[in-house]
Amino acid sequence: MTPAFEKLQQQLKQLPGLGYRSAERIALHLLVEKPAQLTALVSALEAAARSVRRCERCGNLAEGDVCGICADERRDRSVVCVVEHVPDLVALERSGAYRGSYHVLHGKLSPIHGVGPDQLNLAALQARLAAGEVAELILALSNDVEGEATCHYLTEQLPPAQAVKVTRIGFGLPSGGGVLYADSVTLKSALDGRRSYS
Amino acid sequence: MRLRTLTLRHFRNVAFARLDFVGRRQFFVGQNGQGKTNLLEAAGYLTAARSFRTAESATLLMHDQTTAAVACTLEHARLGETQVTIKVHRHSKELWCDQTRVTRLADYLGKFPTVVFSSQDLQLVRGAPAGRRRWLDLTLAAMDGSYLQALQTYTRALAERNALLKKGGAVAAQLEAFERVLAPAAVELIARRISGLQSIGAGMAAGYQKLCDGTEPAALVYAPDFAQPDQEALLARWAAGRARDLALRSTHTGPHRDDFALKVSGQEAKDFGSEGQQRSVVLALRLAQAAWFHAKSGVRPVLLADDVLGELDPGRRRKFWATIDPESQVLATGTALPDAELGTWEIFRVKEGDFQPEASA
Ligand SMILES: [Zn+2]
Repeated sequence: MTPAFEKLQQQLKQLPGLGYRSAERIALHLLVEKPAQLTALVSALEAAARSVRRCERCGNLAEGDVCGICADERRDRSVVCVVEHVPDLVALERSGAYRGSYHVLHGKLSPIHGVGPDQLNLAALQARLAAGEVAELILALSNDVEGEATCHYLTEQLPPAQAVKVTRIGFGLPSGGGVLYADSVTLKSALDGRRSYS
Repeated sequence: MRLRTLTLRHFRNVAFARLDFVGRRQFFVGQNGQGKTNLLEAAGYLTAARSFRTAESATLLMHDQTTAAVACTLEHARLGETQVTIKVHRHSKELWCDQTRVTRLADYLGKFPTVVFSSQDLQLVRGAPAGRRRWLDLTLAAMDGSYLQALQTYTRALAERNALLKKGGAVAAQLEAFERVLAPAAVELIARRISGLQSIGAGMAAGYQKLCDGTEPAALVYAPDFAQPDQEALLARWAAGRARDLALRSTHTGPHRDDFALKVSGQEAKDFGSEGQQRSVVLALRLAQAAWFHAKSGVRPVLLADDVLGELDPGRRRKFWATIDPESQVLATGTALPDAELGTWEIFRVKEGDFQPEASA
């Protein structure tokens, strides 16, 4: 292998889910077997890096200041479903059961892993709450220790003056599991069966 | 239940062994360090995929191996003939029950009870509270998947709270968030420890009477850090302890600080018991554990007696064998063959991880 090839392989190996072997296979594929794909991939990466960012309002992926869901007038902004990661939002959207808006925390509290409130997308949520536009908060975080603790933390941090209804989905979710690994039917019943939380 | 075959592969010093058992009494004889205890450890592993000797799976693997395996065919009062295979990898385990992979340990627990009688058991009386807590958790979790889940939740939330305490600063709101996860798990642990120790304690007191001819009463007394299985009371206690915990950088109250005392004639056997009394107390505790497993699972546990014959005086030894359930299968080890008065055994000679059945007389 050449030095440039090895450098590419090293970079690929840093990506989540890729080991040494799969990094090597991808590098060979792009450079030797299907070099035509390479140009398309590089320009797609560059374009995405230029235009994709976090939605200012909810933390979802966006190409403008706000994401497609936040820009959609038909979505109910008074209901906010709080999720850990963007793929959780995608899974809930796929279930087709939900017409409210979202808030993506980009993680959950875990002091062991050095994740505190400052590492989460909380300031934007506080701003939405302070603006008084939120009537219901649906906590769709995983039902493991860190997900539960994050739910408790969010509930404690609510502005006391406002009556925000807080609900928790979790019924039907596998214990210790998250939104991402549940199928659409389970997610729909989990949303329908959400219970009030405090 | 009764083990009919037991197979070990790359388990500690045993490269491969397949043992066939005909009856209910098997005796493994050999010098120390040859692999007798390893065999009992493997049999005990069937109960909860936990070793009675170590919490480190990696130490179960034979040198230079990445996987160890324990497999058995057993007769089971509820399940009929059943095959169980456990593969132990460096950082994970695989459980198989009749060729079906078991994905949740909680679903597996409570079916295959075994109880170990070991010379190390004396530490349950003499040693630090951590050893008694480990025994208590292993015993209760072995029969009860929801105890295991509560324990895992509690342990994880406690580790998160302790990480916050080490970080320090203005973390009160985060501490409270994790305390709210700790509280329901703690309530479950305390409630189940109260009821479990009550049953096991009653069995221990009765067993001690039989072992010692009723000369003196013995008792097991739960010594919880906090006795009330009540969420609000626990939350108040953790909240009140935050300043101290922050200064000491760890959580100083909760069921992770629980203990229990073993008493003879009202006094702690740890401080006041003779060696003979201490040995009788732990034997009675193990017998009570076996009776509790039987009651909980509906299955008679397999008894694993690791050199307990050698250490008891002849009188206690006879009473011990008279006390155990005669229907139970017993796998026993020793450096010498058992006395003829203990009946007939299937004998296996153990040498350097190899097990040779002795032709029956
Ligand atoms: Zn948005």
